[in-house]
Amino acid sequence: MVTLGALLLVGFSVFLILHPVISGKEAPLESAGEDPSDAQFRKRVSLLQLRDAEYEYAMGKLGEEDYQALRKEISAEALAAIRAELAETRESVGPAYESESADLEQEIARVRARLKGGTFCSECGHPNDAGSRFCSQCGSPLQSPRTSSAP
Amino acid sequence: MTALGEFALWIALPISFWGMVMGFVGGSQKRGDLVLSGERSVHIVLVLLVLASLGIVSAFLTDQFQYYYVAAYSNRDLDTFFKVAGLWAGQRGSLVFWAVLVAFFSSITVFQNRNRNREFMPYVVGVLQGILGFFLVILLFAQVNPFEQLGFIPADGQGLNPQLQNYWMMVHPPVLYLGFTAFTIPFAFAMAALLNGRLDSRWIVLTRRWTLLSWFFLTNGIIFGMRWAYEELGWGGYWFWDPVENASLLPWLTATAFLHSVMIQENRGMLKVWNMSLVLLTFLLTIFATFLTRSGLIDSVHTFAQNTTIAFIFLAFMASVLVAAVILILHRLPDLRSENQIESFLSREAAFLLNNLVLLGAAFAILWGTVFPLVSEAFTGQAIAVGPPFFNRVNIPIGLVLLALTGIGPVIAWRRATGRNLKKNFAFPLLVGVAVSAAIFALGARNGYALATFGISAFVLAIVAVEFWKGAGARARIEGEGLLTAFVHLVGRNRRRWGGYIVHVGIVLMFMAFAGRAFEVEVRKALNPGETVSVASPFGHEYLLTYEGISSSREANFDRWVALMTVERNGVPVGPMTTERRFYRVNRQMVTEVGIRTTPLEDLYLILADVEDFEGVVANDPDAQRIMVQVMLNPLVAWIWFGGVVLTIGCLIALWPSPEVVRRREVSAAEGEATGALAGAASS
Repeated sequence: MVTLGALLLVGFSVFLILHPVISGKEAPLESAGEDPSDAQFRKRVSLLQLRDAEYEYAMGKLGEEDYQALRKEISAEALAAIRAELAETRESVGPAYESESADLEQEIARVRARLKGGTFCSECGHPNDAGSRFCSQCGSPLQSPRTSSAP
Repeated sequence: MTALGEFALWIALPISFWGMVMGFVGGSQKRGDLVLSGERSVHIVLVLLVLASLGIVSAFLTDQFQYYYVAAYSNRDLDTFFKVAGLWAGQRGSLVFWAVLVAFFSSITVFQNRNRNREFMPYVVGVLQGILGFFLVILLFAQVNPFEQLGFIPADGQGLNPQLQNYWMMVHPPVLYLGFTAFTIPFAFAMAALLNGRLDSRWIVLTRRWTLLSWFFLTNGIIFGMRWAYEELGWGGYWFWDPVENASLLPWLTATAFLHSVMIQENRGMLKVWNMSLVLLTFLLTIFATFLTRSGLIDSVHTFAQNTTIAFIFLAFMASVLVAAVILILHRLPDLRSENQIESFLSREAAFLLNNLVLLGAAFAILWGTVFPLVSEAFTGQAIAVGPPFFNRVNIPIGLVLLALTGIGPVIAWRRATGRNLKKNFAFPLLVGVAVSAAIFALGARNGYALATFGISAFVLAIVAVEFWKGAGARARIEGEGLLTAFVHLVGRNRRRWGGYIVHVGIVLMFMAFAGRAFEVEVRKALNPGETVSVASPFGHEYLLTYEGISSSREANFDRWVALMTVERNGVPVGPMTTERRFYRVNRQMVTEVGIRTTPLEDLYLILADVEDFEGVVANDPDAQRIMVQVMLNPLVAWIWFGGVVLTIGCLIALWPSPEVVRRREVSAAEGEATGALAGAASS
């Protein structure tokens, strides 16, 4: 009985640890997107510092002058970290980042242009082109132009 | 079961070594398959060690005295409760217990990080399995195998040390061991950071919870030990500067230093080498504590075995960890440069640094006093023990400085504090402190240290109170909330800070209780039934105890003699009290069970110092009732345990996941659902 248990124990253990080596099953070596990047990490630290400084000022531990000076320093650090983060994102997304943001810009421009003379649907809030009589989203009749709802 | 347990221990050894090699090789060669194999080995070693532990416990429960370990720490009539505790009753079992706890925490770590922090994990696995492998080597090769057989079957075991037959036995060792072992995880991450070169404060943030958890268990373990000593050792105190008590205090001191200094690295990118050194030192001290307790090198109420092989293996292990870590730190020195400088000595950083130096000073003084018998033996051939007077003389002043720092630190801002504001902020608490000292002096207390302790304690409590008051007030003003809501939100928004303050309050309460020792009262008297003994409390009232009589009974594992006293406080009856003597038949050992009556002001502590005629009492002889009692009044002792509760609450607040983490989890869960719904929509 004990021998059987022991054999099972050995067999099972050896199988489990050798299986990845034989079958080539791998554990991830890098964490995909789960861990904060260096810049994100620095940003977090700066923002926490800013929070602390604000708190200490509110509690009367920091004088006005020191607080303003510290805030300036920490804000500069935070800004640098945010820029670095942006650069990181650009780098990791690559050219797609540029084209995607260009697409977004265009979309925004289109909506804006439409709204210039257009009107919001009072039912669903969809922005419609100028001169529309019915909402292109939900079909409700559109009343006065340029306003989203009755004043 | 027991045979399988022993077998499991033998398989665990090669598997942990395999895991160590896989971790290190997999990490350095970037081989995911090897890393996976290493990670699996962690879980397997846990299962094997659990089997080994179950094997030991089942041997205890079924009275298998053919095993040396069971025969040495149990007997047939021992309470089942204590048979289960046999796992950590002696050296051999507690080494298994230590290993199973490390394996448990390791397994949790591997599971938690299956998708996160992958750059660290191969080395973390390597380090953890290396440590486990070391303990397995000791267990199997240093003549401490818990499964060693005697070669014959004794009729009964030698029984468990009577002083361990107390319910604290179920609590104190496991909690302390949880504290020792949980610190292995921050150590493993620190070493992994040195190996993979990610030396920003990431490893600190990752292991912050583990460090705090370890500190939490260590603190509670130490407090439980104090309570145990107070109830069970029967001399009226809770701390004797015993080598093993010291050994548990050492990692506590360095871990406390570490908890504070990591904040400097997180906030300011400084003290990187210092933090590495502290994590290394704390880890070594947890090993040292295990080693000191279980090696028999220094005489202590806790030591059970005299075995020098194990001492050498322990020392060799500690030396190799030290050398390896120092080499790694030196190798990475250029990457461990400070990102900032201390801007001003009036800053939180500077206060934390001072706190660190003081804590380390205390640790070294205690370490020196603890190993002094060994050192003196090496040089003079005679072991000279350093007693409580030495430790008290050195540590009371250090403790007072630390106490003051628990109040000063929080008031000073990061980077640079504004001097003018500091004066304003300290004025009120200082006034409170001085007033309290003066009031206590006026009431007649003349002990300088006690006056200082009460004054400084009041100062710190005032600071924390003002901090909470102003914080809640500021938030109420800014957010337009009620004071109570503002208070709850305040704590919730920065749990670490406010949890930390509450921990400080707990520590202050404990220090005040320590100072109470200066006002102890003790009376010894021989009594016949009907006679009384009176003791005057330093708080002005008087207790009158009347000895009613003594009776004896025979229990499963011991004979007992119980003396009954009735107690009056200033002439008002407050109830009966008992104190007893127990003779453990198997161990042939007599112990005292004290009677304790606790009030917030003081403990009435009753010791049955002697019974004139034990046989006469058993025979119910009315002329053989004379006893010797020792009555003590221990002021403020209850505040130690209450301080412990406050400290635990503070710790739990600090440990609770921050709203940020919870939100992140919820977001990722929601994202998971959203993706799931999208996938469902796409497939339908």
